[in-house]
Amino acid sequence: MEKVKQKDLILYSGLIILGLAAPYLFSAFKVQLTYLCVLIVLAMTWNLQGGEMGYNTFGNILFYGLGMYLTASVQVGMFFPLAEWTESGGEKTFVHTTAQYFQGIGVGLLVSAIIPAIIAGAIGYAILGLRGHYFAICTLGLGIAAGEIAGGIEIIGAGQGFTTPPFPAEIVDTEARGKFFYFLSFALLVGTFVFVKYIYGSRFKLILNAIRDNEDKAEAMGIQTMKYKIVGWMCSAFFCGLAGGIMGGLIGYIDSTDVAFDGREMGVFMVLMAILGGKGTLWGPVIGATLFHFFKEGLWTLILGWQYVALGVLIVVIVVYFPEGLMGWLREKYPEKFGEVIDDKDRKAQVELK
Amino acid sequence: MNKLAKLFVTFISAITLALVSFTSSFAKVEGEYIVLGSAISLTGKYSSNGVHTQNGYNMAVDRINKMGGVEVQGKKYKFEIIYYDDESNPKRAAQLAERLIKQDGVHYMLGPYSSGLTKAIAPVTEKYKIPMVEANGASRSLFTKGYKYLFAVLSPANQYLEVAIDLAVEKNGGKGVKIAQAFEQDAFSQDVRLGILDAAKRTGSEIIIDDKLPKELNDMAATLAKVKAVKPDVLVVSGHTKGALTAIRQISEMKVDVPMLAMTHCDAAKLSKQHGKKSEFALCASQWHKNLSYKDKFFGSGKKYAKDFQKEFGYDPPYQSAESSAALLVFKDAFERANSFDRDAVRDALVDTEMQTFYGNIKFGPGGQNVAKPMILFQVRCKGDDCENRVVAPTKWASDKFYHPIPKWSERS
Repeated sequence: MEKVKQKDLILYSGLIILGLAAPYLFSAFKVQLTYLCVLIVLAMTWNLQGGEMGYNTFGNILFYGLGMYLTASVQVGMFFPLAEWTESGGEKTFVHTTAQYFQGIGVGLLVSAIIPAIIAGAIGYAILGLRGHYFAICTLGLGIAAGEIAGGIEIIGAGQGFTTPPFPAEIVDTEARGKFFYFLSFALLVGTFVFVKYIYGSRFKLILNAIRDNEDKAEAMGIQTMKYKIVGWMCSAFFCGLAGGIMGGLIGYIDSTDVAFDGREMGVFMVLMAILGGKGTLWGPVIGATLFHFFKEGLWTLILGWQYVALGVLIVVIVVYFPEGLMGWLREKYPEKFGEVIDDKDRKAQVELK
Repeated sequence: MNKLAKLFVTFISAITLALVSFTSSFAKVEGEYIVLGSAISLTGKYSSNGVHTQNGYNMAVDRINKMGGVEVQGKKYKFEIIYYDDESNPKRAAQLAERLIKQDGVHYMLGPYSSGLTKAIAPVTEKYKIPMVEANGASRSLFTKGYKYLFAVLSPANQYLEVAIDLAVEKNGGKGVKIAQAFEQDAFSQDVRLGILDAAKRTGSEIIIDDKLPKELNDMAATLAKVKAVKPDVLVVSGHTKGALTAIRQISEMKVDVPMLAMTHCDAAKLSKQHGKKSEFALCASQWHKNLSYKDKFFGSGKKYAKDFQKEFGYDPPYQSAESSAALLVFKDAFERANSFDRDAVRDALVDTEMQTFYGNIKFGPGGQNVAKPMILFQVRCKGDDCENRVVAPTKWASDKFYHPIPKWSERS
């Protein structure tokens, strides 16, 4: 492990303290903060493919949705017959005890991390040979197909949707649920960040970059690109699945196309956030997601009915003025802050040449 | 990194400040206003019905406020509603419910549009013990979850088209019929389907086509082609407004002959206006019709409500608007009987609700659903090019006889 610089240490500990204190400081905003954590996780994991590897995937929503259904199914299925829980009309209602609820969600989250990762491996093996638009379109199809398929499976509620187990009634504190999901998502965020930061300091990231910059050359240099592409995708799937599992429990109701395999919103948002912040950077997706979330929560309701128009304008502005995202823009403006050395003579020479 | 770190710190502290200054929440009752909250679908696939719902709410708020408001402990209060757009998305709806309660300090909620969104919001209102009177979530599973703070002024979804099957069997001389059905993949339509399954079992009818339609549907030609081939006695379609519009459009294009066509959401889709004669003979389930003889002192009769609504918003009120208006009347009544703003007192008053509104009688069953009001069926009938919805069942309010079977397209002018 390389030594962490002191300034970084201050920054990180500050952020962690802020994160831990947030639900107490902004008690009313717990749910939004939970969303923020999940959005950042999604943006960061998307960035691994879209930013570092150069594979624009719309398929990460698949793992998010899978995680959601898996967590809820395991949480119910461990203690009660799942089919009867989701059965049309829901005549029978089972109640989880406090212990059952937490055991269920714990095991459920574990499953929701592992299975999507395995599925990512299997699907990746099949389709990561595709490149460019072909890969993008193919993954777009994956998310849509998953939504339609999930909407037809009776045991997970089909078109009726799946009501996840309610938070145990024995816990009287109405704030407990919000805190529980917030800390869960914050832990996931910290975990994801540490993992991605670790990758950023590793050879693995360089390989992903090599694949992005010129896959054939990378291959020619003896890198088994396929292997790395699959592993990269599996890592993303792992965290996306967890994010989905937490969101399912928080929302309390899973609908196949609108909540779980929500490619139209979450699927697009994760791409947008990463690009807004600057893809291919560590902090870009974090900043992008944060800004996006604030924009959405703050302005959305002020412009009722026009919010998607505003979003469209935002996308245009990002693409036209910040094609490299905020971090990319900063990097261009203050290259020395990013550890890039610029030879002034060289720059002048270039200007003169033009 | 130094400058960047500073930038970051500034950014974070700016956000912190903004949030802290934001946290001061409103009160449930502000001055002379009782603040209600609602997430409504103003955009997305339910936007047309969301607007019907909102218009219904607004109409009732105006009317109640104009007629003296709500009297609690000798003081007059007015209603005010905080709206957010849930984008027809359950995830967003749940988040907004949380926001209304936690940040805007709303203590009483009005329902969103559609069963799916109500299902997403109900756990939130339940958690914070916020009474919610909803007018557009009919899915039966809403009423079997043991929710204590959920009250619905409408009849459950499975009752929507059961009567239609009974009618078909009756016309068939008491023998079972062959049913073809196609339902959208959403909580509401799937519940309507359950009602049909029950009715089929009860009457010994046979279901020969049982299709699922995608959300956002705009094509059901595959189902209709099958219908053409197997010739069922009844075709049942449910898929909110788009489902009704798509069905009529394609049935007339493909000239599908079926003796009976039963649907939902005909009036919300303004079928008789949009498709005119093509929609004739369609049988529709409805929570309400303006010709029913219910009355109250705010809106008078259904006909008067329809007239006022037409004047205000420029179209005939679908039942979605009427039931939404009724939700406000229920709230007003409950506040006055509770004579308090205590949430639990209001909730207890809601449990004891027993009243008549222009929309129908309202009395809540143990699950929170309205048990005092039957569903009605109307049929689209045309005179020349002028089409309108006529009530055909139940017989108590029927203004017209049920026309059966639907003439073949080759015989229709």
